[in-house]
Formats: sequence, structure tokens, C-alpha cells
Amino acid sequence: MRELAIRLQGVGKCYRSYARDLDRVLEVLSGKPRHHAFHALQPLDLEVARGEVIGVIGKNGAGKSTLLKLLAGTLQASSGSVDIKGRVSAILELGANFHPEMTGHDNVFLSCAIQGLSRGEAEAAYEAITGFAGIGDFIHQPVKTYSSGMVMRLAFAIATHVNPDILIIDEALSVGDGVFARRSFERIMEFRQAGKTIFFCSHSLYQVEALCDRVLWLDAGRLRQEGSPASVITAYGEFVQSESGVEELHHPPGLAAEAAPTLPGAVAPRMLAVEVRVDGHLARAHRVLSNRSTLEITLRFQASPAMPVPTLGLVWIGGDGRLVTSAGSRHDGIVITLDERQQGVATLVVPNVPLLKGYYCLDVYLLCEQGLMVYERVQQAAEFNVEQEGLELGVFSLPHRWRLP
Amino acid sequence: MNPLRRFAMLYAEALWLPVNALRGHSALLRMLVQREIVNRTSGTLLGRLWPLLQPALQVLGFWFLFAVVYDMQNVRGPGYAQYLLLGILPWLCFSELLARATGLFREFGALYARSPFPLHILPVVILVLPTVVYTLVLALTAAWLLGAVAALKTLLLVPALVLWTLPLVLLCAVVGLFVRDFGQALPFLLTLLLYLTPILYFPDMLPAGGRALLWLNPMADWMALVHAFLGGNPVVLAGVARLAGLWLLLLGPCWLLYRRTTLHAREIL
Repeated sequence: MRELAIRLQGVGKCYRSYARDLDRVLEVLSGKPRHHAFHALQPLDLEVARGEVIGVIGKNGAGKSTLLKLLAGTLQASSGSVDIKGRVSAILELGANFHPEMTGHDNVFLSCAIQGLSRGEAEAAYEAITGFAGIGDFIHQPVKTYSSGMVMRLAFAIATHVNPDILIIDEALSVGDGVFARRSFERIMEFRQAGKTIFFCSHSLYQVEALCDRVLWLDAGRLRQEGSPASVITAYGEFVQSESGVEELHHPPGLAAEAAPTLPGAVAPRMLAVEVRVDGHLARAHRVLSNRSTLEITLRFQASPAMPVPTLGLVWIGGDGRLVTSAGSRHDGIVITLDERQQGVATLVVPNVPLLKGYYCLDVYLLCEQGLMVYERVQQAAEFNVEQEGLELGVFSLPHRWRLP
Repeated sequence: MNPLRRFAMLYAEALWLPVNALRGHSALLRMLVQREIVNRTSGTLLGRLWPLLQPALQVLGFWFLFAVVYDMQNVRGPGYAQYLLLGILPWLCFSELLARATGLFREFGALYARSPFPLHILPVVILVLPTVVYTLVLALTAAWLLGAVAALKTLLLVPALVLWTLPLVLLCAVVGLFVRDFGQALPFLLTLLLYLTPILYFPDMLPAGGRALLWLNPMADWMALVHAFLGGNPVVLAGVARLAGLWLLLLGPCWLLYRRTTLHAREIL
């Protein structure tokens, strides 16, 4: 058995609410409970081996953030014991503890000290932090003069350069935008490759399944299921669909829509054109004949010479918001070549479109070479109104044949 | 664990609080003190001189009012200025500590609400700068008025006063978090206590009834101790015993309250 990095025994968190403010004071004075408890996290037992990548999924209010905060040490458990071996660093609320009047330099040392680093350790990490953040001479200016992007870059650099043994990531696999987003993503991947323990909480089931060794599904503060990513995510997907339709299945592949970075600047990969043709006609909204029309989607993008060649992803979403199907160049083993201008182009051809009648839309993604980090997302790049001649039911027409005796 | 052992452990924890904070979190303490200096001096012309100038200017103000305007030197002789200056500086240190403590949890909320911050060191953080500043200012004042030996004695006096104030700092931090009105009322309460304590006047200027009640005011005992220690007055052992007794009585319970409050602080903010 591998060495344990985290052991939780009966760890729970309840938030207290009081009918009157005075009750809180009386509770502190007497030590006797006078509150109503809201259990954000029911007592939980968990063992995590060193080097494991743990995914945490669940609906909003399931207790995911509470669990991460307990592990990060920003919350104290109401019950049980939290045993963590090694230094924890969390990418939760980046830059929240910066002091606006202090310089970036001093905030680096303050943040390192809060993380438990000695002055010597902080000095040793300083060059790497400032080099990674890339904010130049601004490091000697008060943080109040920084843009929000610079604050985030410096905070991310600190969080990932304090030599943590355990990294906690809430939602975003990369921060910032442009080239820094790519670098921050690579930095997190380095942790994974270096065998560090990672806790990753996300609504993006695609990313959780792609990255994690084990997944915890929390529901209403309880551990509902724990196991291999495929089994837990399948069960969770069925649960979400049965509960309320499809609200949390909209985002694959890649980051949640609101977290997807935008990419200004010439050096960052970006989508140049999305052309959708049905039976040779170029348009954004199409009438499609089921099992007859041919769909051609041509995607053109600008790559960066400093980064590996991007990959492409396409997701079809039904009128009810449910993900219908997807296609990815990396999954299909397609390597896109670039021209002399560092531009790539690829066309996905779908003959005899097998969708059945209904409304569908297409989202297009420009992704990193691993298909995990989103460089750019084009929402509703095309719309399709599919018509059919027969009376088949459902979403897809399965390729099939009848055999008679 | 039996109650006596728990009680003993509570006191040991509280007694070692400053030592543990200095030993285990020295880098953090240093940065937080720097943060405090930046807070107080950022954007000012005189910058880092202000922490020293503030008590010096306050002393000057009191001296002007009582020694010049009220002409107390003529009433009580040339010793009055010395009496005022030696008494007012420890008082300013004491009142500054309590005023800071009242807003302790709110002042540092941005730090501990979002990071794994050791809340138990907060009371120590606010003790550091006043200890250094008032030791320095009082030492300079004592050197000017009484000579080098008295200046050296202040190196013990101010830290002792600060350590004695620790239970009250813990208590004010707790009350200030739960009862916000306390922060508003404290300046008035401190002003009242200043007038009830023989700092701006000699104890023998009080009527007999007032003098008899001075034993109820621990700051009066502190003033007697300050003037005995620095000025050569006789030491009132009963006063020293009262101060020690009160400190021992408060330290454990106040630390317990503070510890319980840390569990609530993150939720409240």
C-alpha cells in the first residue's frame, strides 16, 4: 500500500445559525450549544494515498467546497480528525490575502509565511515565483496598482511554487488568459506527473474523468459514491438527468463555460473560422434531412509556434440542452499539420447525418494537445433543424439491418 | 481528562502563547508587523517615523495642556512634568492595545477567512509593534529625565505591562467580535479610566474617598508601580499582588474564550 497523504476520520462540518446574536455569545461563554446546525458535510472517512488524483463532483451545495476548504485549512472541522501529511496549497480564491498597500515582493513573503514557509524557504522560492508570474518590475509596486490578471498570476505563482505536497484545485485547471493560462495548466500537469497528490473539484465531468484516479460524488453533504471515474461519473450523470434534466452536463469537453479563458494577443492559439456546410450550402442555421444530408464542418485556427499543435472538439447539444454526441480530433487520432503561417485547418465530414427530427446546436472547442485545456470555445457555432421522413423515435438513427429466418 | 489538569493545560497554553508564536511563526509575525506599519504609514510624508511620532506628539499635547495651560508645575513643583511623562506613555500603550484588540478579528478577516492562517497568533501580532515603539519612546524619555539606568529599566517595564494586558486583549477581541457597540464605546470607557487613574494628577490630589477607592483600579496600581520602578517611589506590595492576582485570574478564562471564539470567527465573517 502506498503511503497515505490524507486521512479523514469522521470529518464533518456544520455551520451554526442562531435565533439571536446573544445566543452565540452565550454559547461561547458557557460552552453549551445554543445553535441550529446546518450540516454542510456529514461525517466522512477518507484515505488518499500519496500521488493520487482525486476528483470531487456533485451539484451546487453538495459540500464540495466545504471539503476542499477543510483540506486547505481555511475551515475547521466540526467533528472528526483531519490528518494531512505534507504542505497543502490551494487554488481557491487567488490573491484574496494580498494586502493592496504592500508591494508584490512583500506580498510574496507574506503569502509564503501564511503557507508556513520560513524566511529562507521563501527567499529560495522567490526567483521562481516572480519568474513564473512574469510581472517584471511591477513586483516592487504596491499590489493596488496591479491589474486583476497580474494579481491572479502572482497568486497562482505563489500557490504552485511553495513546494506543496498536496494541491487543491477548485474548478479551474488554468488561470489567467493567453499564454499564462497555458503555462498555469502545464504547471498543474507537472504536479500530476511529479506524483503529487491532487484534489480536483469541477463541474466538468470530462476533465474529472480524464485526469483523476478516483472520484468522490458528494450529494447533500454526504459521500454518495466513491470509485473509478468511469463508474462514478456514469452514476452521477444518470442521477443528474433523472433529477432535473441536464443542467450540469453542458460543458464537456473542457472547462465550464464561465471559466473558459479568452485569448487576446497574437501568440495564443485562437479560432479563425468555423464554416458549416450542409449539402454544400454554407450557413449558420441549417435545415437537415435525417439520414440524407451531408454535414461538413471546417475549422481554421491560428496556432502558436511556442506551443504544441492544438486539437479540436465538437459537441452537439439537443433542444432540451442535453449533450447528444461529440467528436474530437485527439480522440480520433488526427494530427493537424500547420502551414507556414502557423495556421491549421481540418474538416469533419458527417455523411448521412444520423440525427433524428428536432433542433440541435453545435459548440466548437479549440483545445490543447491533450484535449483538456480550452483555448477557445465557440458557442452555438451552428444550428440544425433536422427533419425526417419516417416515424423513428429518439435522437439517433442507429445503423442497423434486419435478418429474417 | 480531569478538570484540574485541563485547567493547568489551559494556563500553560496561554502563558506560552507569545513564546510559541515567536518561535513557530516568526516569519509570519515579521510580515504581519510589516503589514501593520505599511497600513499606518502608507502614503504619508514621514513614513515609518509616524509610529514613533504619534505617542511623542500625544505626550507633547498632554504636557502642553497640563504643564503649560493649567500650570501644574507651579502647583506641584518641577516633578510634575516627570510624573506626567512617565505615567502617560504606559497608559497610551495600554489604551492602544485595547483599542486594536477590539477590532482584531475584523481587521485580519481577509487573511484568515481565505487562507490557512493560525488564528491563535493574532493577539501576539498586535502586541509586537506597541511593545517596540513604547519601549523605545519611554526609554528615551526616561534617559532624558532620569538617566541611563532608568532607561534600561523600561526594557523590562513595557514588556511586563504588555504581557499583563494580554488577558484584556483576548477579552476585548472576543467582545469586539460579538458586540460591535463595544468598539464604539471603548474610547469613552478608556477616557473615563484615564481620568479615574492618577496619571494626569498625583494620587494625593484626590479627595480621601477617591483615594480609598483606588485599589479597585488596577491601572492605579500600574501607575504606582511605574513611578516606584522608574522614579524611586516606594513599591506598594499590595498593589503588585493585586496586579498579579488579577492577571492570573483572567488569563486562563480569557484564553478559553478566545479559543472558543476562533471557531466562530470564520463563520461570522
